[in-house]
Amino acid sequence: MSEALHFAEHRLQETALLIMAGVYAVRLIWLMRFKAGKERQAPTGLPGTTKGKGIIYSWANIFMPWSMESARKHVLMWFQFGIFHMGVTAAIALSVIIPYAPEVLEITLITTIFQVVIVAAFIVGIMRIIRRISIPVLRAISSPDDYFSLILLTVWFFFAAFSVPNRWQEGETFLLTYFWLTAFFLVYVPFSKISHYLYYPFTRYYLGKTMGFRGVFPLRGTRRG
Amino acid sequence: MTNKKRSHQAEVLIEGMAEKLNRQIVGSLVACVHCGNCTRSCHYVLTNPDDPTFAPAYKADRIRKIFKRHFDWTGRVFPWWVGAKSIFTVEELEELKDIVFGKCTNCRRCSINCPMGVDYATFNRMMRGLLVSVGIMPEGVAVVSKDQWEIGNQMGVLPEDYIDTIEWMSEEMQSELDDPTAVIPIDKMDADIVYTINPREVKYDPRTISDAGKIFHLAGENWTMPSEGWDMTNFGLFSGDDALGGAVAGRVYEKAKELRAKKIVISECGHGYRSTRCEGPNWAGMDVEIPMESSVITMLRYVREGRIKVDKTRNTKSYTFHDSCNNARSCGLFEEPRELLNLVVTDFREMYPNRSENYCCTGGGGAMSMSEYTPLRLKSAKIKADQLRETGAEVVVTSCHNCVDGLTDLIKHYKLGMEVTQLVNMESEVNKGSGFNVSIPRRSIALSSNDFK
Ligand code: SF4
Ligand code: SF4
Repeated sequence: MSEALHFAEHRLQETALLIMAGVYAVRLIWLMRFKAGKERQAPTGLPGTTKGKGIIYSWANIFMPWSMESARKHVLMWFQFGIFHMGVTAAIALSVIIPYAPEVLEITLITTIFQVVIVAAFIVGIMRIIRRISIPVLRAISSPDDYFSLILLTVWFFFAAFSVPNRWQEGETFLLTYFWLTAFFLVYVPFSKISHYLYYPFTRYYLGKTMGFRGVFPLRGTRRG
Repeated sequence: MTNKKRSHQAEVLIEGMAEKLNRQIVGSLVACVHCGNCTRSCHYVLTNPDDPTFAPAYKADRIRKIFKRHFDWTGRVFPWWVGAKSIFTVEELEELKDIVFGKCTNCRRCSINCPMGVDYATFNRMMRGLLVSVGIMPEGVAVVSKDQWEIGNQMGVLPEDYIDTIEWMSEEMQSELDDPTAVIPIDKMDADIVYTINPREVKYDPRTISDAGKIFHLAGENWTMPSEGWDMTNFGLFSGDDALGGAVAGRVYEKAKELRAKKIVISECGHGYRSTRCEGPNWAGMDVEIPMESSVITMLRYVREGRIKVDKTRNTKSYTFHDSCNNARSCGLFEEPRELLNLVVTDFREMYPNRSENYCCTGGGGAMSMSEYTPLRLKSAKIKADQLRETGAEVVVTSCHNCVDGLTDLIKHYKLGMEVTQLVNMESEVNKGSGFNVSIPRRSIALSSNDFK
């Protein structure tokens, strides 16, 4: 393994991770400095609905496509969402597995699973780029960061897919590009929309707390009869 | 950097935003990923499919841009990259007004359809309040807010007119029930219930007051109506003015406390219920000890306890139920009205979607008072009209005065030929001195509702 690849797999990733963690911490402190709203009234709604249940329901919402009309009516989009995020998880895991547990990737079944997931995420990424460009509403709400983040992730999936076998002996280009992209991704994330996963637990927590306290969550949506 | 000069109003609005931002709102402002999932949950989008400016995320971004430019460092450092943009001129503020008042009814349907939990309706209301604070608002909002500040109710009903109407309804009730003891008590001390109403009832629909009075009387309730602090509606909810919201709700709480009432009952009104029961204590900064409930829950309890008897065979028409957004999506009140309705009608037809997923009557968020947006409102009402038509019902029942007006308007516009009524009117109808005893199905879910505690 070349010095350059070793550096990209270790020192570069560690530095990028540290930067990301630092910026995240600053971001969280910033968010927490805003006052929290307070509900003084007595709770409303049915007894199955409490603050706690609302919060749990809110966090679990995304895994229950039937519970949200927008997911229920567009199940394919929901699957795409799932594949895309599984791809992100797999590609991030890869950046830890390659330097610290490369033997895992000697198991054919595991490399196949990683490659299938990441390739599927890459295809979804392409579909999402086309969708964002071709649908007027999405164009109207997109900023340069929205396009760039999506393209960045899709390109990253491409290189990740080829890096899964970890065969640096046969050439280091894909591995080097993947690790440099991962480092860039880690540093860029807190500045971009990709940081949404940092906010996700908070926004869903607050919505769940309010809606649970008011008897709206767990949602009792449309019922027949 | 732009050299545009910022108007004084824009300056004040940005300063005000700093004070209004809380963790929940900031979370919603930073978390949007522009996925567009919320788009088709909005009735404005469904009726204007070719115009992307109606999309919830697009409308939300008009506010988000300002937030990012001034409060989020990504927007301060790379404004163009993350779509941050400040606001400068009065014209820009006017445009923002047309979005937050004219293109959104704060119905919260997009909020429950956002995978990230972005609650756009909440920060849309915040922006309404900020615009109101710099004097930029639809004329109707200014007029109604002024009335509620100055006269104490949002329809400018004078104290003597209110008392006259109550006395008149009291006499009507007496003659209808042929019972000299059937009166509407005013300012009775130590009553079990103080009944608060919507000024629309005094001005346009006094029958709902006597209908409620009949029910309280027949149930043998120890009740009263207050001479002041009787308006449970609250334009602060629509205008985003928390100070007005707190002052109006505070009047209701203070009067009930002065009368040593044991409970505040709120007549059927979605925004009134939400304002008085769910938001008022927060706006007023008061911990209100007197319990509060919707009159729907009160009436349901009477039927369950056998204090009033109902005969559903008297209502032979076909009925559907419209959920008010404020009741269903902000206060969890949707099963009790259905249970009550099923006790008083034989032919109930559910509307789809319903409960927390129901569409706004399209007159919500104060839209009925903003005449400049009426054509847009009626166009967006097509989604509700289709929903109503599909039920094939003759009558639509709702627990909200505002929805009564919104639905009446769209039924006329789309020539649906349906009637609109409220539960209080129906229940009073099936009660008219009837000696019928009907069996009352009990549902455990509603029996232990938080409001029954
Ligand atoms: S508000 Fe939610 S659903 Fe709508 S675009 Fe933003 S993240 Fe997506
Ligand atoms: S709150 Fe209601 S009216 Fe406003 S954007 Fe969301 S869905 Fe549309």
